[in-house]
Amino acid sequence: MLAYGLLALVLSTVLAVVTWGVVSDYLNNQRDSSAVTITSDNAAALRYGLFGVPVPCNPARVRGECDSPQAADGVHPMDLLNSLPSTDAAASMLYFEKHWYALTGKPSDLPPDLIQTALDGNVVSRRVEVSGQPVLAVGVPVGRPNEAFFEWHPLTALDNTLLRLKLTLIAAAIATALVGLAVGRLASTLALRPLAELTRVADAVARGKLDARLLAEEDRDLGGLARSFNQTAAALERRVAADARFAGDVSHELRTPLMTMLNSMQLIQNHRAELPAAVREPVELLGDDLDRFRRLVIDLLEISRDDGGDRGSREIVRIADLVRAAADATAGREVTTVEPEAEGLTLQADKRRLERVIANLVENAEDHAGGCKGVGVEAGGLGVIITVDDAGPGIAAEDRTRIFERFGRGETSGRGRGVGLGLAIVARHVQWHHGTIQVTTRPGGGARFIVELPAKSS
Amino acid sequence: MSDTGSVAHSLLLVDDEPRIRRVLRLALEDEGYEVAEAANGYDALAALRREPPDVVLLDLMLPDRDGFTVCREIRRSSDVPVIMVTARTDSHDVVAGLEAGADDYVTKPLVAKELSARIRALLRRVEPSNARQAELVEVGDLRIDIPGAEVTRDGEALPLTRTEFKLLAELAGAEGKVLSREQLLSKVWGYGYFGDSRIVDVHIRRLRLKIERDPASPKHLVTARGLGYRLVS
Repeated sequence: MLAYGLLALVLSTVLAVVTWGVVSDYLNNQRDSSAVTITSDNAAALRYGLFGVPVPCNPARVRGECDSPQAADGVHPMDLLNSLPSTDAAASMLYFEKHWYALTGKPSDLPPDLIQTALDGNVVSRRVEVSGQPVLAVGVPVGRPNEAFFEWHPLTALDNTLLRLKLTLIAAAIATALVGLAVGRLASTLALRPLAELTRVADAVARGKLDARLLAEEDRDLGGLARSFNQTAAALERRVAADARFAGDVSHELRTPLMTMLNSMQLIQNHRAELPAAVREPVELLGDDLDRFRRLVIDLLEISRDDGGDRGSREIVRIADLVRAAADATAGREVTTVEPEAEGLTLQADKRRLERVIANLVENAEDHAGGCKGVGVEAGGLGVIITVDDAGPGIAAEDRTRIFERFGRGETSGRGRGVGLGLAIVARHVQWHHGTIQVTTRPGGGARFIVELPAKSS
Repeated sequence: MSDTGSVAHSLLLVDDEPRIRRVLRLALEDEGYEVAEAANGYDALAALRREPPDVVLLDLMLPDRDGFTVCREIRRSSDVPVIMVTARTDSHDVVAGLEAGADDYVTKPLVAKELSARIRALLRRVEPSNARQAELVEVGDLRIDIPGAEVTRDGEALPLTRTEFKLLAELAGAEGKVLSREQLLSKVWGYGYFGDSRIVDVHIRRLRLKIERDPASPKHLVTARGLGYRLVS
């Protein structure tokens, strides 16, 4: 992009310099030759006046010797100078019969070698400075050796013109460079748009938005890259989806045998009294583990449902009612305390998911942390704050994120079996409701799980 | 163990998985039901014609035609309560099944004891919710005969399913007051707080199609936004 601007600057500068050279040369030459012509014409008029004869030859036009005529009688060079047509010449000086006659100007302002060149019979012109002003001094012989006519012509107007030209050219060069920069920027934006798009899409994929795709497959230059990028992204998406589906598929497959086992076990337990004493305990063990197995399969289905992108259903829910219903039912006793300000809070929620959040937290406290010490609902935070306290040993600071990962039981907390997926599902469902969850230490020991959800007062 | 004591309720079990049919039959028979089996939609419809059951348990994944189609075909000729069995609580499956005419749904893996509770709720007869309730309720041009389980308009009986009638009767019993979806779920289906309120919404929609002259702008069965539903003259 900057390169476009530099290129434009270089090109316009070259163009400006060349233009400047050509135009200023031309104008200077024009001025030169017109000044020489005027001075020569004046010199011719002087010669006629001085010698009274038609000009035998004009040394300004014919480079060569002229005959040396005799001066006419009663000639006053000053009168002749005065009679010259008024031109833009700033000074007229005649060196005649070894005397200077100057109408305006001082012969001392002329460079001696210029005077000498003219006196030697040559037409001469040169740019000189007279009292600070640029002038073009011109010397023309008048007919006899060592006699010549001098004028100088002011160059201020020309210099002003050239200055204006110079400024115009500089301005044009800068403008061209700026336009070039702008065009370059535009062109590079257009040319680089697919690359910017690629960066954006690659970022999106990296952040986990696996269905992001490039639209530039038809692009002549980037089509190949876009196609292979899209294929890679699609393969990645398939792979991730397959991984996610795997747990779901496995648990789907497990459901039929699980149903057979659960219903058979229920039948057996309905007839426990008829069982021989020796098998009652093994049947009980089997029943307990079967129940645990069922919960694991249901949890796996639950979490793979989320991976599968189940949208769920949202309805307006009074959060205090929901927490009370879920927590008290799970604990099998009244454990919920609702702050009066929190009673009226409502939330767009999937009831089934929120029930799992509360039930899993309470169950976790009941089964693995010495029992639930209370569930609180209060207004604050994102809207509503739900706390679940337990009587366990608390959760070590380094485990406080790990426990929300799948099968991520705390390593140092020594929490028992079965933590498995429960808290991972809690974290998922809280996130699904745009809420937050964290775990701290309850005043007086034990862990406190804090769920914040975006609730409003209705 | 059936709730009527004398006569066992009969149940038609429609599932393509033989082991599931076998174990559910064993477990449900142990719960006191008479169980007939069908392995596909064709057999299910034949069995339904031959010997109408009290309840149909219908798996949505069937080999010959999907459960939704079977459910719609059952509804053409019968008001028998249908419980559909779904793999997931995904919005689409549940709502589509209810729209097809199912009365309730259960998800796999299901256990006979839980299923039995659902069946009992569906078979429970409508009981007047307060003692003063009339046996005949008139709402606009509708005549609701509670003990006869019949709704007539201009002397013509409207073809409500048993669950639709129970829903209408509960709303009529409320005498114009609003009933929340949770209340209706509890009264009609026997669910607690966490019952799926989509069941109520779909049934209300189906009921409007039958009792409203213009179901798109209901005059009698109106929505109290954010609160629930009520029945007005």
